[in-house]
Parts: sequence; C-alpha cells; structure tokens
Amino acid sequence: MIIVENLTKKYGEHTAIDRLNFHVRKGEVVGFLGPNGAGKSTTMKIITGFMAPSEGIARVGGFDVFENPIEVKKRIGYLPETPPVYADMLVRDYLTFVAQLKGVEGASLKTFVDRAIEKTHLGAVQKRLIQNLSKGFKQRVGIAQALVSNPEVLILDEPTVGLDPKQVAEIRDLIRELRGEHTVILSTHILPEVQATCERIIIINHGKIVAQDSLANLSTLKSGSRRVHLKVRKANADLQERLKALPGILAVVSTSPQDWQIDATESEDVIERVASEVIKNGAGLLEITSARADLEEIFLKLTYGNEAGGLA
Amino acid sequence: MKKIWIIFRKEWHGFLFNPNFLVVCGLITAVLSWVYPNALRAFKMQIETSVYAGSLPQQQLNIHYGVFLRHLSFINLMLILIVPALTMRLFSEEKKMRTFDLLLTSPVTSAQIVIGKYLSALAAIGAVIFLGFLYPALTAFFANINWMTLIVAFGGIFLVAAVYAAMDLFCSSLTESAIVSYVMAVVFNISVWFVGMGVDVVDSPAARAVFEHISLNQHLSGFVEGTVRTTGLIFFASLIFLFCFLSERVIEASRWRS
Ligand SMILES: Nc1ncnc2c1ncn2[C@@H]1O[C@H](COP(=O)(O)OP(=O)(O)O)[C@@H](O)[C@H]1O
Ligand SMILES: [Mg+2]
Repeated sequence: MIIVENLTKKYGEHTAIDRLNFHVRKGEVVGFLGPNGAGKSTTMKIITGFMAPSEGIARVGGFDVFENPIEVKKRIGYLPETPPVYADMLVRDYLTFVAQLKGVEGASLKTFVDRAIEKTHLGAVQKRLIQNLSKGFKQRVGIAQALVSNPEVLILDEPTVGLDPKQVAEIRDLIRELRGEHTVILSTHILPEVQATCERIIIINHGKIVAQDSLANLSTLKSGSRRVHLKVRKANADLQERLKALPGILAVVSTSPQDWQIDATESEDVIERVASEVIKNGAGLLEITSARADLEEIFLKLTYGNEAGGLA
Repeated sequence: MKKIWIIFRKEWHGFLFNPNFLVVCGLITAVLSWVYPNALRAFKMQIETSVYAGSLPQQQLNIHYGVFLRHLSFINLMLILIVPALTMRLFSEEKKMRTFDLLLTSPVTSAQIVIGKYLSALAAIGAVIFLGFLYPALTAFFANINWMTLIVAFGGIFLVAAVYAAMDLFCSSLTESAIVSYVMAVVFNISVWFVGMGVDVVDSPAARAVFEHISLNQHLSGFVEGTVRTTGLIFFASLIFLFCFLSERVIEASRWRS
C-alpha cells in the first residue's frame, strides 16, 4: 500500500531523514516511533504530498506521490501535528467542507460526515464553533477530518499529543478499531502508544531507521532474551544464587528486597521454573510477570543508547 | 471546477460570518451616507446659482459628472484601503493556523485554490461596490440618470478593484501575518496609481505612450465616461491574470521548499 524507497530530505545542510526504506501492507497499523526531531513528521509530510523529498520515492496505492499527487491525496487522510481546523467554522460544516474537498459527493456526503462524527464522539459539539472547543476536542475534530472521506490510508502525526489520559485511551481504542479497514501510519515518541495500537513498529532515530519489526519480535530484539519481574514476600539469602543456578538464567538483580529482575534466554518455561524455585525457597511468591514493557529499554537503547554510551 | 466552487463557497461563508467584512460594509455605508447627500446638496446649490448666472459649463451641470464621478473616485479611494482588509487573511491566516496543510494535502491544485479564493474576494468586493452603487441608483427617484453610463462606470470601478484583489491576494500569499499582508497590499495599491502618474512626468512621446498604457487611471477613465474599451478590458484582465498566476507560483513553491 505504501512503499518508501531511499527517501531523503535535507533542510539546507541538515539531513532530516536519510535514505529511509519501508513498506506498509494494506490494512496494517504501523507505529512510527522515535524521539523528537527524529524525522517522523518530515517523512509523513512527504508521504502525504505536502512537500517534496530531496531524493528517493514514495508510492501510495501504486501512485507515485510526485508524479500523481492528486491520486495519492484522494486516498489519504492526514492529521498533521497541529490539527488543521478553521476556528470560525462549525464542527459539522468543517467536516463537510473537508469531505467535499476530498471529493466526497452526493448521498455519501452526509453519511460520511455522520460516521466521522460518531466515530470520534463529536455528536454533542457538532453545532459548535471550533474556536470554542477545548484542545482535546480540537484534536478529535482533527482526527475526524482525517477519517471523513473514508480514505484507504490514514497518516496520523502524534494523534494523542496534548490529550488527557481518558481521551488518549479513547483515541487508542478508535485507532484499534480502524485496523483492517484502513492502512494506518501513526507517529509517536512514546512507546506505550505503539504498544497499545500497532502491529508493527518502525523505530527511527536521527533520520535513520534503526529497527522495524512486529511488536512481538521487537520485544526480544537483539538481546534474544526476555526479562521477568518477580515480587516476593521475603527473600531468603540464597535466593539469588539458587535462581542464578537455574538453566537459561542470565542475570538476577534485586531492585529492592522484595523486587527482582531476572534476565533469561528466550524459552517458554522460564516463568514456570522461576516460580517453582521461589516456592521451594519459601520466599512467598507475590507476583511474577513477563516484562513486555522492556521494549521501553530496547527503544531507549536503540535511540538514546549511542549517546549515553549504552544503557545496557 | 467543482473544487473551485467548494473553496469559493467556504471562503464566501467565511466573509459573511466574519465581523471584519460586516464592519467594512457598515463603515462604508456610514461614510457614504454622510458624504453622498452632501455632494448632492452641493450640486443642487451649484445648479441654482448657475440658473441665475448662466455661466457654468454644460458638462458640470450633468449629474453624472457633478455627483457620480466624485462619488466613484471616493469609492475608489476607499477600495485602496478596503480590498486589502478583505484579502489579507485569505492565505496568511491559513499559513499561520496551519490549515494550509489541509489544502495542500487535499486533491486540489494550487490553481484551484487561488481561483476559488480570488472569486470569493471578488464576491465580497462586489457586495461592497453594490452598496456604493445604491446611492446613485436611488437618486433615480428624483433625478433623470443615464443608467448605461452609470453601470459601465461602476463596472470600471469593479475591474479596478478586481486588480487590487489580485495584487492583494498575492501579498497575502507571501506572508504569515495578516497585518504585514495588509500593509504590503495598501502599498501595492497606491503604487499602481503612481506608476500611472508617469504620464504627467515624462517628456518623450514613446515613454508617454508606455505609461499611458500601463496607467490604471487612463484605462479607468474610459469606463467612467461610460465607454467600454477593449484595450482597457485586456489591460485589467492581464493584470489580474498576472497576479493570480504569481500567487499560484508562490503556493506551488511552498510545496517544494520546506
Ligand atoms: N522546516 C524545517 N526547516 C529546517 N529544519 C527542519 C524543518 N522541519 C524540521 N526540521 C528538522 O528536521 C528534523 C526532523 O524534524 P521532524 O520531522 O519534525 O521530527 P519529528 O517529527 O520526529 O519530531 C529536526 O532536526 C528538525 O529540526
Ligand atoms: Mg513531529
């Protein structure tokens, strides 16, 4: 659906993105993850035809973004970093305007506008002036505007930035609902966002792709290991040694007398073995979790790792 | 075509619900309602005295010259300040509020955007000029007027305003600030009158001919006297085209720069 090859953008001397290559299949939800200034917005602006690259190509639905910009733009719904809303318009009129601009006409116009309003829960404010809406609502109008023409491809640049936690959860639910129906690229600099919504992640740093894979694969990326969090009531002195002696365990670190972090090679029964060992030890097992969250660490390692001399 | 209409309609609604436009309309009505009756009264006095003296030239006794022409040049003067106020937001606001991103990522061409916005500006200016037209038109209740001449004269003013609109729209496309756009546009509008003044300054007949041709005033005066000249139409149309084309280029360039 989306093909990006050797995409490069230079702002004067400064290279914002450097020979990016990636594909997005139809119906996929892909997270574009990277710290601020990594080049996420730049990439999205090029894919949407907002600006031209210095080099390389981008194709959407088989159309080259520069040879056939109109065809590409018909297929894309785009939420830029700042929602592009007209303060002096009513929410409903605005969405109707955007739909018409994208070429929706006739009977589907009202249907499409109604659907976008419903999906983004804007029903209560549809007759209000956009300038009187809160930031969260404006952001939702921005998302509605991207959805309203029912485009094949949705490009959302930091869709949840500036929202309160409840609104963030709503938007994430909405994005999950879009899966399968639309091809979605969303950018973010916070990891939980992609974990909550995406099937695949592209991690970008300093304008280069440092990793791209499915969420599951990335969790074990490079380390080939997994981490287990363990909480016990009262650890006996030899617990650390006994755990270390188990097959497949790489490291055991206690973060507090009760909390332990265990790194193990990737294998199915690590949790089982650790659990039974703790019980045998009589330490009082309170909690044991496989640490998916350690993607955070991988993300940090990949992005900030080089500067910090390696966090691992 | 359809896209132009969609953009036109959105901008036109924008004018109708924008206090700016309504304030401009209110202001122009207030000013003209004060100036116009005064002009009429002065004209009446002039006629009355001339009846006794019998000395005034025939031309000045014609209401078209005695009242309407002054009214027209007064409207023209106001348009120099009003048109920029109507056009200043059209592009600069979009850039500032980042709504331009929406237009530039929608399946519309830069030309469609410019034409749609330009036509909406014309509609707003048309409304303002119509307000000005009402005054002489209402005079018809108690004076004989030559409708054709009046309409052609107002058509001429509309064309001049259309030239302002094209230049001022271009100014708006150059900046993110409505204020900067306004000031720049007023300077543009005033300076085209100065270009025309070259006619009175230069000596060589060739240069004179050139200035005569590029003088807005020369072309307008034909209309104001009630005659439509093709050279005038072509001159106005080419200026409008030139500045709309320049705006289109500026927008197209913004897609390629950064
Ligand atoms: N218009 C611009 N002119 C010059 N440099 C820019 C411009 N836009 C972005 N940059 C630079 O390009 C890099 C990538 O920016 P951006 O794509 O906005 O990153 P992200 O969206 O990942 O935070 C940054 O270093 C930024 O400073
Ligand atoms: Mg960004």
